[in-house]
Amino acid sequence: MATVKINGKEITVEDGTLILDAARQAGFEIPTFCYQARLSRLGSCRMCIIEIGGQKKLQPSCVTPVMHGMEVFTENETVKSARASMLEFLLANHPLDCPTCDKGGECELQDFVFKSGPRRSPFSESKRRFHDKDKILSPVIIKNHNRCIHCERCVRICDEVVGRTALGSIGRGAKIMETSFMDSTLDCDHCGNCIEVCPVGSWMSLPYRYKARTWDLKEIDTVCPYCATGCQFTIGARNNEIVRVKSKITTGINKETLCARGRFGYNFIQSEKRLKKPLLKKNGKLVESSWDEAISFIKQRFGAGKKTAGIASARHTNEELFVFQKLIRDVFKTNNIDLDSRFANKWVTSSAIEVLNLAAGGISIFDALKAEVIFVIGSAISNENPITDYLIRQTAVDRRKTLILAHPRRFKLNSSANISLRYKPGTEGEVIKGITDFIEKGVFHGNVVGDISQVGEKFKNAKNITMFLGADILRLDNGTNVVAEIVALKGLLKKAGKNIIIQPLFDRCNQRGARAMGIHPLFLPGLKKVKENGMDCGEILDAAKKGEIDSLYILGEDIVSMYPDAKFAKDALSNIKFKVVQDTFLTETAKTADVVIPGASYAEKDGTFTNQEGRVQRLRKVISPVGNSKDDLDILCSIGGFAYKSAKEVFDDIKKEVLGYKDINFDALDGNGALVKGHGAENQGSRVKGQGASEIASASPRNDTSSNPYLDEYPFLLITGNHLFHSGRLSQNDDVLIKLLAEPFVEISEEDAKELGLTDKENVKVKSSEYEAVLKLRVVKGSQKGVAFMPENFDSVSVNQFYKKGQGIARVKIEKQV
Amino acid sequence: MTDFLKKILFIDLIKGLSLTLKYNLSKSFTIRYPDEEKWLPYQRFRGLHTLNKDAQGRELCVACELCAKACPTKCITVVPMEDNNGIGIADRIAKIYEINLVRCMFCGFCEDACPTTAIRMGREYELACFSLDCAKADKQRLLAPQEIPVEFEGGYVIKARLERTKEGIRVRPDLTKKKRWW
Repeated sequence: MATVKINGKEITVEDGTLILDAARQAGFEIPTFCYQARLSRLGSCRMCIIEIGGQKKLQPSCVTPVMHGMEVFTENETVKSARASMLEFLLANHPLDCPTCDKGGECELQDFVFKSGPRRSPFSESKRRFHDKDKILSPVIIKNHNRCIHCERCVRICDEVVGRTALGSIGRGAKIMETSFMDSTLDCDHCGNCIEVCPVGSWMSLPYRYKARTWDLKEIDTVCPYCATGCQFTIGARNNEIVRVKSKITTGINKETLCARGRFGYNFIQSEKRLKKPLLKKNGKLVESSWDEAISFIKQRFGAGKKTAGIASARHTNEELFVFQKLIRDVFKTNNIDLDSRFANKWVTSSAIEVLNLAAGGISIFDALKAEVIFVIGSAISNENPITDYLIRQTAVDRRKTLILAHPRRFKLNSSANISLRYKPGTEGEVIKGITDFIEKGVFHGNVVGDISQVGEKFKNAKNITMFLGADILRLDNGTNVVAEIVALKGLLKKAGKNIIIQPLFDRCNQRGARAMGIHPLFLPGLKKVKENGMDCGEILDAAKKGEIDSLYILGEDIVSMYPDAKFAKDALSNIKFKVVQDTFLTETAKTADVVIPGASYAEKDGTFTNQEGRVQRLRKVISPVGNSKDDLDILCSIGGFAYKSAKEVFDDIKKEVLGYKDINFDALDGNGALVKGHGAENQGSRVKGQGASEIASASPRNDTSSNPYLDEYPFLLITGNHLFHSGRLSQNDDVLIKLLAEPFVEISEEDAKELGLTDKENVKVKSSEYEAVLKLRVVKGSQKGVAFMPENFDSVSVNQFYKKGQGIARVKIEKQV
Repeated sequence: MTDFLKKILFIDLIKGLSLTLKYNLSKSFTIRYPDEEKWLPYQRFRGLHTLNKDAQGRELCVACELCAKACPTKCITVVPMEDNNGIGIADRIAKIYEINLVRCMFCGFCEDACPTTAIRMGREYELACFSLDCAKADKQRLLAPQEIPVEFEGGYVIKARLERTKEGIRVRPDLTKKKRWW
C-alpha cells in the first residue's frame, strides 16, 4: 500500500496504482484523451500531466504509478497552464466545424476546451487539411481525418478488444492519420467501436449521420435483442424515431463495446415491412382486420387439451413468455410448449439445462473468466456472441491463462487461442471423451485435429476451469451423449478437487430466461418438473403431420424457415386446422397462418431479459408500437383473459413462482442487472435425464462417419449458424445490416477448396439430396476438412431446405458452377 | 393684475388653440395604415425571420440547431440532412426548418446563436391571418426574400396599397415613395 498526498488530500492506494486512478479516487478530475480503462497505456496525448513534488518536469499521470510518500498536484497554476497549452496545440490543427460535426455536444475536446482551454490562440498558420469531403470507409463508418487528435483509441480498441487490427496510423507528426490499410474501404467487423471511443468527431456513424444533435435525443438504456451476451446500450430516439444506438462506458458487461448487430441493427424497428394490422385468413388469403375481430376469432376457434400446442421464440421478454406459458398451460390446458424449432429435442435441451445447471444461480462472466483454463466448445463465438469474444480475448492476453477453442470452423478468436481443436460436427462427444480419457488413462481415441493431450495436460494442471458450451450442442440429435460426456468430465475434474464453471453461450437474447419461465415441455416455471410430459417442437410437428394437432399458437417463431427440414415443416403446418402467429414481420410461417397478430419489437415494450450468465436486465420502452401493432403482453393478456396491466405486475407473479427471481426488484434494475439465484430445483434435471436416455438411444442414430456411397456423393457436412452481421431471420429486415452482408454464402476449408479446384469468391453449386442453390464461396484457412458452413439468416436461400428430417446434420456436395 | 388681464383677454385659450391650429396646418402624423401607407421599420427591427444565402446563392444554414437550442420558447424545429449537391455552404443542410410564430417572442436569440449568420430577424411584421397554417414558417417561406430588402434603410413611412385576394388581405408597399415620419 502506498500513501500519497494529492492536492493536499491524503489517500492510501495499492502499490502500482496509476496516479490518474488515485486522483480520481480522491475525487479530482483529470482530463484524458488517450487513456481508456480497458486499453493498453499509451501516454501520448499529454492531457493528464500533473506535477509531482520535487520533480522539475510535469509527468503524465496515466502511465505513472504512485510511490509511497509522493506529493501530487493536479490543479495548480503550472498544471493548469500546461493543460491549456496542450489544448492550444490540439486546436492549432483541429477544425472548428463543430456546428456540422455529429459529435458536437458530446465531444470530449469541446468539453475540455470549454473547461480548461485557452480562450485565444496565437497560431495564425493555416490548419492541416487532409481532404474536403468526409470519407466513407464502410456502409456504417465515415471518417473525417481533419478532426483527428491522435489519441489512437480507435487503433487500440480494434487491435486489443475487437481483435481485427483493421486500423493503423499512416504518416508522421501532426500529419498522422488513424485509418484503414492505405486509407481504403474497411473490410472489418463493422462493429463501430472506433466510433464509440473516438473523443472527437473523427469517426462517425453513417446511419446516424446528420440525423440530430445529441441534445435532441431522448436516450433510454435498454438491452440488446440479438445474442444472449446481453449487452446494455442506450437508444437515442428523436420524434418517435430511433436514430442511434450507443454503448456507455459505465454500464453493462460490454461497457463501451458493441458489435455490428447491436450498434447498427435498429433499423428493422421502423422497417416498411413491419406488420401493422392483424390479418385474418379469408378464402385462402390473409386480409386486414380489426383487433376485436382477430382476438374474438382466436378465442372462438382455438381448441383446448392435448390437441393444442404453443411454440415461442426466445426473443421475447420473461414476462411475455411467462404469460404465454400460462396461456398454453392454464387456458389451453396442454403441456405441448417449446422454444425455438432449431433444437434437437426435449431430452437434449433438458439434459443441457441440467449440465449447465440453469436451475442454480447465475454466475457472472467476469468470475467465470478468472479461471486459468477457458475451454469453449460448440460455438463460433466470434460470430455468435461477439462481446463474449471480446471479453475472452482480453482475458487471454494474460500468459498464465490458457484459452482452448474447439469448433469445426476457424474464426477470429482462434488468433488469441493457445490451443485450437477441430472436429467433425456431431463428434463433440468424442472431443470431450478424448479429454476425459487422457486425464484418466493417458490415452485417447477419436478423429480430432489438434493436440488433445496438451488440452488434457492443461486441464490436469489447472485449479479453476471454465467451460463455455455453445448452442450447437443443443442442435445435435446425439446432444444427450455430448452432455453425458461433459457430465463425466465434470465429475472427474470435480473429484480431482478442481473448480469447474460451465457457462452457456446462447444465440438468442432470452434463451435462459425462457427456460426458467417454463417454456419447455418438461418444465414448469422455476424449472419444476411437469406431471405429464408435453411434446417438444419436433414432436408437435410429427403429431401435426399425423393430424393430431388442431390448434397451434406460434409466438414470434419462424418454423418454416428454421426447422431442419423446410418441406416437412410446411407439410406438417398445413395439416393444422388453426394456426395463430404473433410476430413483427410476415414470415414464411406467418404466411401459412389463419390469424396473424402484429407484435412489438424490443424498443416498443417493457420487460426483462435474462442473459446467458443469468443476469436479469431491464428492457425499456423507447417508442410506441408502430402502426396498429400492440405490445405482446397486452395481446397475450387479452386472449387469455389475464388482468395484468404492466410488465411489473407479471414480474411480481414471476417472483412468486420462479424462486431465483425472488429478490430482484423490477424497478431497481440498473445498468448492471441482477444475477438470478437458485430456483431450488437443482435435482430435477437428473430425473429427466434418466427418463430420456432410453428414448433417445432409439430415436437418434449417431452420425455415421464410415464410408458409404451416399456419403461419397455428398462429402460435406453442412453446419449453420449466425453470421456476425445477422441474427436469426430478424436482421434481414434491417436495411443497414443487409448492406453489410446481403446474401448467404458457403464457407469451406482451404484444403477442400484446393482439392476441388475452387477459389475464394467464386460462385459454386451447393447440392444436397433435398435442394440445390448457387452461392458465393468463401475459403477459410484452418477450418475442419469436409465441413461446409452457411449462415442461416436469409430467406433467399433458406439453409434448412438442405436438411432432411431424421438425417441429422445435412450432407451436401459443392461443385464448380458451369 | 396680470392674471385679471390674462383672463379678460383669453390669453390661455388663445395659447391652447394656437397649438391646435398649428397642428391643423402642419403635416399629418397619422399613418393611414393599411389603406395608403405603412411604417417601414429600421434595420435593427426584429420581425419575421429570414434564412439567408451567400453571394453564390448557397444556403448559409448548416442545420446545427443552435438556434433551436438557444430559443427560450422552443419554437424552432430543425432536422438536418446530408447534401452533396452544393445547396448549402457545407454538406449539411436543413431538411426541415420550421418556426412556430405563435410561440415565437421575437427575442432574437436565434440570431445571436447562429454561427453562419444564416438566420436573421427580418422586417416583415404583418403576420396575422385567418387560419393557423400561416403561423408556421417553413424553410421555403423563410428562404424566400422578404419584400423589403435588407440593404434598404428603415425608419420611413412608405406608400402602400391594401390588397384583398382569395388568400387574405395584404399591404403592398411602394418602396420608391418614402417619407420621414416627422
